[in-house]
Amino acid sequence: MPTPFIMPKMDMDQESVTINEWLKKEGDPVKKGEPLVVIETDKITSEVEAPATGRLAGIIYRENVDVPVSEVVAYILGEDETESDLPERTEPETDTRVNQEDKDKVEKSTLKTEKTATAVAQRMAEAEGINLQDIPASGEKITKEDVEKYLGGLEGVEPRVQTPATPAARRIGHEKNLDLTRVEGSGPRSRVQAADVQSVSGQTPGLGETLALSNMRKRIAERLTTSYQTTPHIYLTTEVDMREAEASRKRMNELANQDSTPAISMTAFITRIVAWSLKRHPYLNASFQNNEIRFWEEINIGIATALDDGLIVPVIRNADQMTAKEINNTLRDLTRRARSGDLSLDEIQNGTFTISNLGMYGIQSFTAIINPPQSAILAVGTLTRRPVVVDDADTLEIRPMMMLTLGADHRIVDGAVAAEFLADIVKALETPELLLF
Amino acid sequence: MPEITYRQAIHDAMVEEMRRDDKVFLIGEDIGTYGGAFGVSAGMLEEFGPDRIRETPISEQAIVGAAAGAAMVGMRPIAEMMFMDFILLAMEPLVNQAAKARYMFGGKATVPMVVRMPSGSGTGAAAQHSQSLETILMHIPGIKVVAPSTPYDAKGLLLSSIRDPNPVCFVEHKLLYKAKGEVPEGEYTIPLGVADIKRSGTDITVVSSQIMVHKTLAAAEKLQDEGISVEVVDPRTMRPLDVDTIAKSVKKTGRLLVVHEAVKTAGWAGEVMASISETPAWDYLDTPMRRLTGKDVPIPYNPNLEAAAVPQEDDILREIRAIVNNTY
Amino acid sequence: MTTEKPKMKFDNKKTTDILKKADELGFSKDDLIEIYSTMIKIRLFEEMADHLYAMGKVHGTMHLSAGQEGVAVGTGLVMRPEDYLLNHHRGHGHLIANGADVNKMMAEFLGKQTGYCRGRGGSMHIADVEANNLGANGIVGGGIELAAGVGLAIQMQNQERIVLVIFGDGAANEGIFHESLNMAAIWDLPVVYLCENNQYGMSADVSRVSSKVPFRGRAEAHGIPGYYIDGNDVLAVYEYMKQAIDHARSRKGPVFVEAQTYRYFGHSKSDRNLYRTKEEISEWRAKGPITRFEELLMKADMMTDQDIERIKKDMTRIIDEAVEFAENSPEPDVNNVTEWVYA
Repeated sequence: MPTPFIMPKMDMDQESVTINEWLKKEGDPVKKGEPLVVIETDKITSEVEAPATGRLAGIIYRENVDVPVSEVVAYILGEDETESDLPERTEPETDTRVNQEDKDKVEKSTLKTEKTATAVAQRMAEAEGINLQDIPASGEKITKEDVEKYLGGLEGVEPRVQTPATPAARRIGHEKNLDLTRVEGSGPRSRVQAADVQSVSGQTPGLGETLALSNMRKRIAERLTTSYQTTPHIYLTTEVDMREAEASRKRMNELANQDSTPAISMTAFITRIVAWSLKRHPYLNASFQNNEIRFWEEINIGIATALDDGLIVPVIRNADQMTAKEINNTLRDLTRRARSGDLSLDEIQNGTFTISNLGMYGIQSFTAIINPPQSAILAVGTLTRRPVVVDDADTLEIRPMMMLTLGADHRIVDGAVAAEFLADIVKALETPELLLF
Repeated sequence: MPEITYRQAIHDAMVEEMRRDDKVFLIGEDIGTYGGAFGVSAGMLEEFGPDRIRETPISEQAIVGAAAGAAMVGMRPIAEMMFMDFILLAMEPLVNQAAKARYMFGGKATVPMVVRMPSGSGTGAAAQHSQSLETILMHIPGIKVVAPSTPYDAKGLLLSSIRDPNPVCFVEHKLLYKAKGEVPEGEYTIPLGVADIKRSGTDITVVSSQIMVHKTLAAAEKLQDEGISVEVVDPRTMRPLDVDTIAKSVKKTGRLLVVHEAVKTAGWAGEVMASISETPAWDYLDTPMRRLTGKDVPIPYNPNLEAAAVPQEDDILREIRAIVNNTY
Repeated sequence: MTTEKPKMKFDNKKTTDILKKADELGFSKDDLIEIYSTMIKIRLFEEMADHLYAMGKVHGTMHLSAGQEGVAVGTGLVMRPEDYLLNHHRGHGHLIANGADVNKMMAEFLGKQTGYCRGRGGSMHIADVEANNLGANGIVGGGIELAAGVGLAIQMQNQERIVLVIFGDGAANEGIFHESLNMAAIWDLPVVYLCENNQYGMSADVSRVSSKVPFRGRAEAHGIPGYYIDGNDVLAVYEYMKQAIDHARSRKGPVFVEAQTYRYFGHSKSDRNLYRTKEEISEWRAKGPITRFEELLMKADMMTDQDIERIKKDMTRIIDEAVEFAENSPEPDVNNVTEWVYA
């Protein structure tokens, strides 16, 4: 067996060496211990000796290449061995071969071109302790004005949090659901202190108390954490021109008025349309379970409802089989009983899709976390009247625009599938007649 | 209950333990006839003899090195450094040998030794004899660091330190040697790693150690009349630090001040504050965490300068008032 | 200061007649073969360690003691199991000569859980505390300070053991050398100080950086008996180390022995040997401990070429098995990284 000549590792951090010169050619006789090759590391140039006596053969790495340590670079053939005894060679990948020329080129291009500056600018930079090279030059040279502009920028750093407040004040404010920007801060630099927040309405836990998690909050916490951690969410946002939907709802409400039934809420309206779209897109009404996709038999849409101390999602069963009026009535009933704590277990179970609407709080758009084991959730934003382009001639009109953000389980819902589902909702909202068609 | 001095408490702890366990011995400079530079080992040579009250040449590195070697093979040495400042000569055996032997050898070595050393300023001994270097020691995994403030704490903690199977640095304060306090008769130990609430309060948590505990308590008395209720927490063990007790206190009061004699930069006040931000107590802070420490200066000789270099009672009063009044 | 190396005379007489010497020291033929085998084992072990390092299998660096086998084996023969050993970073030879398990040594180099230090120490910190091996030390002179303490503990516990602390010529210039010798001398501690003088610290020639050589003068300055011997004459090493250890064991106080030897490999794996010539290394190889002992044995007809082959084969097998053991051993659990800091 030919003896492999291996490039040794000679230093603690060394990963590769460069072969500077082979001292012997292929076919030359070599003696054990005789220097065979001159190599270079970043510390030093050195020779490596032959590990055995014989003939040098099968050189794999030539001069001026980087060789990873512990690699075979050549072989020493024994007395009765020939080139045919050499093992099969796989050519080393060409990108490990670095030409000295290329090395030089690469080094040059990474050199930054030094900018020149006026004498005044240099003095200013030195006085302020800043690196001239950090300053963008408006012209060929860095001027005094450039330095001033740069310095001014450092001062005006936008803080991430607008209202200074102590951790205690934030905690209390959060628990009370307060907007700290609306609280008068009595601390230095208008900092909001705990006392300031205490005095803003409501029974709050006193400073230093601990609020134990209610069972509801515990459940919410567990479920959302699981969903967030195990379900890969994909989010799609779209904008809807709600002019037609508003008009349609208005006409429906005229009908409701005549009927003496309650006015249809926008949530109920949207729910009807979502149910319709779900029927056409079963993947959004399914569940990922044990590497299988379970398509639900029913379409049961849960409507996220805020309570004083948490969140509950009452479910409208078989929403696809209900009219907007029926959905509206059911929703009103469920919401009322949710707030008084009178929902039965099966009114909050078996949801297959969830809608969450924060429009009444002025929220433009938001991403919601899927309620497991569902595969999607639709987050509805507020209606904002905005100018939009309405036709190919670039006509601008003020329209009521609304953002919808669909969150879907990417394990079973691909982007295109989700997009189609959402597109259908948009179409239906923009042309409600579609449901009659 | 009898009252004894801090010095006496340390002396008694050593004597009682040496009577109980013949593996314990004291090694250091001038500990025999002279009775130790601060008189702590007075009378011990007569009782235990020159083998167990082992007086050495002036060789700090060899003293701590010998202690480490002896501890590895069955003895329980107590090495005395004449001044904490001199531990610097012995950092190699303390840090590279004693602290690491157990870990480097895969858990198969034990180094049960104690290094006692007096720290602190106020005696006019100036820069090279007045340092508070506990922060440097706290940084080393493998050793424990203890810093008692009262005779009661000193005795109980020293007994625990001697009995602890790890290398323990026992930091005494020069100015406390003559301080008196109640110490019960009979054996008792105080576990390492447990802080002590020296005074209960509701408006601010002040963490201080050694002589600063006494200055803080004096300040707290005065502040009581101003309607400020100060809770004083004495860590007692610096490594491992009892963050839980401090956090509980901060959660209660919402305000934290750390007072130590050691120099400000990289001083252990930073360690306390960083630790608090890692606990839920952080959410209960209502003022920025503050520290009052020795200035970044070698201890000067002139007594006024010396006093100005470290926190005094007036400084503590001023700081507490400023924090409670939301000045920061 | 001249750069000429002073000619220093050894205290020992050169071993030329092996039969006579063996008789004097009470060694049988088998004992002598055993000595030879152990030296071969060490040499092959170090060469394997070097090979593993070149293969990129060993993290960090290594300090190989090839060339110093005479000191290791000669000393190891004198040590009793209850004696304490404090070693330096170039300590593989001493460990093997004192009966260490090469499997656990190899496993430690590869950082495995089954290594002497559970992979936490590496080559420089191998210890077997239960077997009274208090560790190789990465700090030059680190063992010297501990030795006085161990000696003190032995004395206070009235035991019949000694502590042997081995260090190099570089360590003799550390301040702690004097502090420790002073302390051992004033208290008559049972410490044997063995200085393995292999001519170089890392790259510094010992005579260039030491005010006076041989070092035994420094021991004598502390009132400690000191010897300067040829470390490459394994039987001479045995003879003098036995004297020294017996002296310390009989509570007569500390002893200092300086053994002259030479290392073939560089200081560590980053050493390119720029501070000495190839010729110098070859010269020393020609009069190395194994070569000399082999010649003596062959001359006295106590060993043949076949014996040598057989011994090398046996030792190679042991070492190959050690490498296999090490490579098949598990890595330590990363989740336990902070375990064993405190007792």
